[in-house]
Amino acid sequence: MKRSLAALTALLLAVSGCSGDGDGSEESGPITLTLAGWSLATTPEFKTLADGFKTSHPDITVELKEYDAANYDTQMIADLAAGKAPDVYVQKNLKNFYTYQNGKQLVDVSDVAGKLGPKVGGLNFYQVEGKTYAIPYRQDSWVLYYNKALFDKAGVKHPDGSWTWVEYAAAAKQLTAGLKAKGDKALGAYQHTWQSTAQSFALAQTAGANLDSGDFGYLKPYYETALDLQIAGAQVSLGDATTNSLTYQAQFGKQQAAMMTMGTWYIATLLNQQAKGDADAFEWGIAPAPQLTKATTGTSATPVTFADPTGLGINPKSSARKIAAAKEFLAYAASADAAKALAGIGVTPADNSSVADTIFSLKGAPGDDLSKFTFTSHDTKPENPVSKYTAPLQNILKDMHTEILSGATPIDAAITKAQDRAKAEVLSK
Amino acid sequence: MTTMPVRRRRWRNTAVGWSFLLPNFAGFVILTLVPVGLLFYYAFTEWDVFGGATWTGLDNFRQMARDTSFWTALTNTFYYSVFHIPLTLGLSLALALLLNRKLRGVAFFRTVAFFPYITSIVAIAQIWNMLLSPGFGPVNEVLRWIGVANPPGWTTSADWSMPAVILVGTWRDMGYYMLLFLAGLQTIPAQLHEAARVDGANAWQRFRAVTLPGLRPTTFFVTVLITINSFKVFDVILVMTDGGPGQSTLVLSQYIFQKGFEENQFGYASAVSIVLFAICFLVTIIQFVVNKRGSDR
Repeated sequence: MKRSLAALTALLLAVSGCSGDGDGSEESGPITLTLAGWSLATTPEFKTLADGFKTSHPDITVELKEYDAANYDTQMIADLAAGKAPDVYVQKNLKNFYTYQNGKQLVDVSDVAGKLGPKVGGLNFYQVEGKTYAIPYRQDSWVLYYNKALFDKAGVKHPDGSWTWVEYAAAAKQLTAGLKAKGDKALGAYQHTWQSTAQSFALAQTAGANLDSGDFGYLKPYYETALDLQIAGAQVSLGDATTNSLTYQAQFGKQQAAMMTMGTWYIATLLNQQAKGDADAFEWGIAPAPQLTKATTGTSATPVTFADPTGLGINPKSSARKIAAAKEFLAYAASADAAKALAGIGVTPADNSSVADTIFSLKGAPGDDLSKFTFTSHDTKPENPVSKYTAPLQNILKDMHTEILSGATPIDAAITKAQDRAKAEVLSK
Repeated sequence: MTTMPVRRRRWRNTAVGWSFLLPNFAGFVILTLVPVGLLFYYAFTEWDVFGGATWTGLDNFRQMARDTSFWTALTNTFYYSVFHIPLTLGLSLALALLLNRKLRGVAFFRTVAFFPYITSIVAIAQIWNMLLSPGFGPVNEVLRWIGVANPPGWTTSADWSMPAVILVGTWRDMGYYMLLFLAGLQTIPAQLHEAARVDGANAWQRFRAVTLPGLRPTTFFVTVLITINSFKVFDVILVMTDGGPGQSTLVLSQYIFQKGFEENQFGYASAVSIVLFAICFLVTIIQFVVNKRGSDR
């Protein structure tokens, strides 16, 4: 009996893992940082950053820790709460930044931010009360992808950067009709199922629009355009897109639609899929996203669009020495060197002032001037403005999105309902 | 036979019993009992995972009383349950009766009926969503062909999304409960049916007087299971409609998930969980009481 009890105790000790987290924090010598990433096999940017950093800092090794892409924030929040998170972790978007920052899970990195050049996009989104809590290494922007071959087939003029949503809608209808006349079943436009395809453009482009105000009237024109195109048959309806699990990659890449708004991350995917044959081979280009008013159109103006930056933050539970090393890593990630390395794999770096040539020299990339202009000039607003209310408000607006585009409720009534819910459930707290 | 003292032998039996229980019990305590216990504490706090929870007393429950989304979710949960419970109960019993005879290939048909239950819910949702797709789905094609001018929009329509989800939920679950009913049917002695037949009872009378009373314990067990599972419904809805369009299929467990894991309001989410727990608990107690009364008669 005694023997078995001893064995049981030993087993329990082994199971409960009585191993202290030996940091071995010596004052000098090589150091290893851990960095969170997702889908490492298909998302090479983390390894690119780690390898690039190693060449200039041979003493610091950055090890990757993989997370599930779809549940990244849930898993990260659990790991942080349990004290098991890596030293450096990625802010995948801005929706949960408030949770991390307000929960004191991010080291103040204002000193790193202070040394960065003015060209690093998205930095100010991470500032709270004058302090910076994360450093962006990547800043995508939403643009308009268009299929040059389908435009030519339908006899519609290519986008020239002067479009508002009115011209966009007109072109979508012309394209649909023109393609139909030629016996092509492709539609003029594809609007993906995400709420951002309507709401974030509206929030970015409408003067005075503010999520936290609880006044969502600014969304109306964007839903009018979307509903109009759905009813006219110039784009697939939301219901058909969700029930058939349509992917935007197939809709544009397989030439089911002549144009589509999407983030610049799709450039790398499209190039890759065309090279592998997962997407058809056709000539394409990018143009600035359609604008609300003429004031921001044309290549002499700066088009307004949206996207969240992707940034790096430091886990405050790391040792002081690791935090110092991590700050060097953050500074590198936002540097021009890292920007070149990221552009080499098709990623849009936070500092994209000098990388357009790198991206557009990739095989299969468009070579026209408008595409280059689109890539480098934009006033990119956040998709999720940082606030305590962002996550719950976005959930309410997601319900409104499906309610309107399924035709269940007229636009005005749905907006009023969302406003009432926002006031009662979120803003009054 | 060795002469082991009685006390020692009894102690040994207890120890053996415990050692068989321990692996499962330890897992149950660590992964279920302790978290559920903590839930009752967190329900009275405000907690965003990081740092400590702040005690807020009944605030969460007061907020719930005013929260229209909570009431929508509660109503939808009852809507789902009120249709899903009788439908699944009836259909699984019917299937069991049908497949309890001696007919050719009965094992094959039983497997077919059971298959949806072991199929991945994501695959089920994907296929049903395609079948029910308003524009090109085969279901609506057939409806149009037989002359329905405006077939329903199913999961893309606020009025039809709940019926669609109930339909798929029932289709998925009935195979499992059919299996339980089949097991129950085997326990009814064949002589009783024989005797009833000799007394001149027709099929319906035999069903009423022999099969149903014989199935009583099984029916009770199945009803309790279906009821609890209906109130807890989550996966089918999450993957088929994600609560939409609008909030037309938002149910309690999904609302809990949203509040907890998407909005990091774990205190409030815990409070809603307690309401769900209370509903399941109450309904089960009522069923026990009713069953007890029935069997005492």
